[in-house]
Amino acid sequence: MPEISYSEAIRQAMWQEMKRDERVFLMGEDIGRYGGAFGVSHGMLDEFGPERIRETPISEPSFVGAGIGAALLGMRPIVEIMFMDFTLLTLDQIANQAAKMHYMFGGKATVPLVIRMPGGSGTGAAAQHSQSLETLLMHIPGLKVAVPSTPYDAKGMLLSAIRDPNPVAFVEHKLLYKTKGEVPEGDYTVPLGVADIKRKGKDLTIVTSGIMVMKSLAVANRLAGEGIDVEVLDVRSLRPLDNDAIIASVTKTGKLLVVHEACQTAGWAGEIMAVVSGSSAFDYLDAPMRRLAGTDTPIPYSRGLERAAVPQEEDIEREIRAILKGKY
Amino acid sequence: MPTPFVMPKVDMDQEKATIISWNKSEGDEVKQDETVLVVETEKVAIDVPAPATGTLVDIRFKAGDVVPIATTIAYILGKGETINDIPGRIASTASPVLKTAETSSAEASKPAATPTPVALRAAQELGVNINDVPSHGGRISREDVEVYAKSLKEKAASPEAGKIAATPAARRLAHEAGIALESLTGSGPRGRIQAQDVVKQPSAQPVTQPAVAPVVQAATTSVGERSAKVIPMTNMRQKIAERLQASFRDVPHIFLTAEADVTRLEEARKRLNDIATKQSGSKVSLTAMLVKVIAWALERNPYLNASLVDQNVYLWEDINIGVATALDEGLIVPVIRNANHLSISQISEKIIDLSKRAREGKLTLSEVKGGTFTISNLGMFGIPQFNAVINPPESGILATGAVVRKPVVVDENDTVEVRPIITMTLSGDHRVIDGAVAARFLRDLVQAIECPEIML
Amino acid sequence: MPKVKNEETFTDKIARLGLSNETLIDMLRTMYLIRQFEYMADRLYALGKVHGTMHLSAGQEAVAVGISKCMKKEDYLINTHRGHGHFIAKGADINLMMAEFLGKENGYCKGRGGSMHIADFTTHNLGANGIVGGGIPHSLGVGLAIQMMKLGDAMAVTMFGDGASNEGTFHETMNMAALWKLPALYICENNKYGMSMDVARATAKLPIAQRAEAYGIPWYVVDGNDLLLVYETGKKAAEYIRAGNGPVLIETQTYRYFGHSKSDRNLYRSKEEIEDWREHKDPIKRFRTQLVDAKIITDEAADQLDKEALKINEDAVAFAEASPDPDPSTVTEYVYA
Repeated sequence: MPEISYSEAIRQAMWQEMKRDERVFLMGEDIGRYGGAFGVSHGMLDEFGPERIRETPISEPSFVGAGIGAALLGMRPIVEIMFMDFTLLTLDQIANQAAKMHYMFGGKATVPLVIRMPGGSGTGAAAQHSQSLETLLMHIPGLKVAVPSTPYDAKGMLLSAIRDPNPVAFVEHKLLYKTKGEVPEGDYTVPLGVADIKRKGKDLTIVTSGIMVMKSLAVANRLAGEGIDVEVLDVRSLRPLDNDAIIASVTKTGKLLVVHEACQTAGWAGEIMAVVSGSSAFDYLDAPMRRLAGTDTPIPYSRGLERAAVPQEEDIEREIRAILKGKY
Repeated sequence: MPTPFVMPKVDMDQEKATIISWNKSEGDEVKQDETVLVVETEKVAIDVPAPATGTLVDIRFKAGDVVPIATTIAYILGKGETINDIPGRIASTASPVLKTAETSSAEASKPAATPTPVALRAAQELGVNINDVPSHGGRISREDVEVYAKSLKEKAASPEAGKIAATPAARRLAHEAGIALESLTGSGPRGRIQAQDVVKQPSAQPVTQPAVAPVVQAATTSVGERSAKVIPMTNMRQKIAERLQASFRDVPHIFLTAEADVTRLEEARKRLNDIATKQSGSKVSLTAMLVKVIAWALERNPYLNASLVDQNVYLWEDINIGVATALDEGLIVPVIRNANHLSISQISEKIIDLSKRAREGKLTLSEVKGGTFTISNLGMFGIPQFNAVINPPESGILATGAVVRKPVVVDENDTVEVRPIITMTLSGDHRVIDGAVAARFLRDLVQAIECPEIML
Repeated sequence: MPKVKNEETFTDKIARLGLSNETLIDMLRTMYLIRQFEYMADRLYALGKVHGTMHLSAGQEAVAVGISKCMKKEDYLINTHRGHGHFIAKGADINLMMAEFLGKENGYCKGRGGSMHIADFTTHNLGANGIVGGGIPHSLGVGLAIQMMKLGDAMAVTMFGDGASNEGTFHETMNMAALWKLPALYICENNKYGMSMDVARATAKLPIAQRAEAYGIPWYVVDGNDLLLVYETGKKAAEYIRAGNGPVLIETQTYRYFGHSKSDRNLYRSKEEIEDWREHKDPIKRFRTQLVDAKIITDEAADQLDKEALKINEDAVAFAEASPDPDPSTVTEYVYA
């Protein structure tokens, strides 16, 4: 099976779906000749033309609104917001409009819109271009939130998102764009709302997403040499959340560590812990549930500070050991 | 007036001393400053001098007694004085003797109990009312004060005193096994009961091994450049691992090795087996003989048949000897109860039966519970000597090796003969068993092995 | 482009515009229907039967009817929360509207939207919007879809008020609509007040529609209470748009009699002002007078239209009140398609 990068996988999904379904089109800034700020739409302008690879002025709220209008009429627009941080500009359109229309119009309207957004830190882009805001989006009923961590998941989930009749926020971690993995060339989907156990284990469950999946796996593989067996559960979607998979895993291991890049306070780790402690898994907990999250700060510029602001492998390893030693 | 001979205080925080030996006896003449007895404080032996010259009388304590300081242990009569000159003397001594082995704890006698000066000072420092401190034997020691103060602190620290901290998993396991949480000690932070604390309980031990060992999925994996076959631990293996780890970690082991000449023991065994053959009984193994010897020796050395529980040493009345038995899937220790009351043939029959049923997976809970001492024999594999890990909550385990024919010196003329020699290593819990105690036990074992008639 | 003034005779005008008597009477009828609906809603509210609030457009009927007459069935309406009139003018079922007002299960939105969020996708009414200016950008998508899905010469008609013209989305949308030459008609209903803010205090340069200049979009400012003027302007704009020339902005200057919402005490305007508009500039009065003067309808017949409008609304209330409330256990339905 060919090995391609995460960004190529996303491009492949859009490309193949645009060929298959003429209702699909892409809107966003600099997605044409420039190929997109992160190169994801490279080559697509030549293939599909300026109507379907429609470059916009810098008017995020309105081009997301344009996506909504087109979706209302039955098209399947994909809107690319250059940095997840800019979705904050568009929150009225995403939250008040797209997410609400199906409900407040009594089921009469559907908004099959995909909003893609690169997020996360590690590139030195600093406070206003490095946030992980999926917690905010996860909170909105009517919206779906996808957070794929591998090229395979990215392509499959984007295809599912485009075909989904609901608005989907598709969160891509910038540092994942260059990572590679095996991706089937043809058509396949990965369902939204289904988690994936990336590594089976029995001593402790890590629930995580995005770039933290890679870090957790690296730590888990290292610790395996010491006989520590960590299960890594990649949520893949934050809304809907695969509660059943999380509950089953924690029931098995009795220990939970949630790892995410988003800031700690009111971060989505709290949601996971609430789900677990309110479930039958509670009776199998043998240690306090713990979370490892980004610091409650804006993302700093300087490399060392930037690194210290989000969980790193050594933090994950330290936390696993502490939990297993019964430190808490 | 006769001079009272008082147990002196030699250390700053000393409260008691153990009498090791009297150098003088009742009625002897002693000179002032002459060493009259030897006592032990903590780890140090001290010579105690006579406080006056005269006749040593009214010795109230013997070697081995633990005596609080400032207690009168004897009197020294001056010229012309008699024993009747001793004030307030009563025929039977009512002075307190502290035996650490006493299982009656916490006689909470109130203000009538006398606190030692050290205890008073401790109470002041710790902000504790001395009158609230439970005493032992009419006395309040510094240790009593400290223990009491600690319990107060713990009660204050947890407003939920009376509530038990236990993880949800521990609660579920305890509930399923019918174990009361109150009976458990927590190994987690702040004394929290964890799942492993419930699982460690004897009644939670894996008694019934599966008749068929569970199909173990052995997968092959690679770690870095090396490949390995991965075999998940069975429950039994895991539990064995946990218990041994706890023992190795928490119990300070002292190891003593002794060799014994089994010639006479083997002769006895042969005679027994001849009778058995004639009477169609079952034959007796060397292990059975050893169990008998151990049982006899344990009767004479109670500290080897003991358990340390919190701050108390429990000297078990029953002598239940576990015989470590190897199985395909691990180790199990069936217990021969009241081994000291069984004959050798009875012991032997029990061993045969228990081993058979162990291999069939048919042992009952009571047959693996309640052991007070264990023997582990690797002689059948030709191992001459090894050190075993104590099986908690026991305090000792005897590791016996193969009988090896060796040249040894057999008399004062340095005659050398080849004799069958067995090497035994005792592992003792050093918190309970001192070197001398362990040594005495081994000496008794060797004696009984080399001269079995001693057991008659 | 200068403000368009009305100087032709009425009869000449209707001839020029090719409006039949039936059409004209129908327009009056619709205006009465809207007016009676708004008053009925107000009465219901006063009786405590309506949950929440409502934003009434009584006084702005000429804009609703005038523009609706320029629209084809295929055209799409993007509406505001003061949009009952537009909805009714585009052919809404009064019963279902009233049911939605009272939060009933068989209302247009199954009781989940209420007055501010009424939509009917079967008649291409893409919904009223509670966010000021929130719906304006949707017109871009509708325009794109019309172009890309080749939906003929349909157009997107977007309603918004003077307040919304100061939202960022208004400007972004104007820019992109012009850029992409989208088939979009933008109607700014300037009724002089945002919520309580006089348009002159909120807007740096009037008239509002002149902003279209900055985006290269043709613009008009008209007396929004002159029904035929509104209609004529809208018709001109529609022709321009349907020919593929791009968007047009029309500012209709009008007035609302009721406050912004039900909690409005009208502290920001005088009673005299309201009375002045009601007496001298009321759109229904003006149009009715024109029709009566041109002998297209008698006074009695006109009164009759008014009475019929009232009856339709009374029946609608009866229908709505007899309708079932939504089952509370269905609260989580319709979150996701």
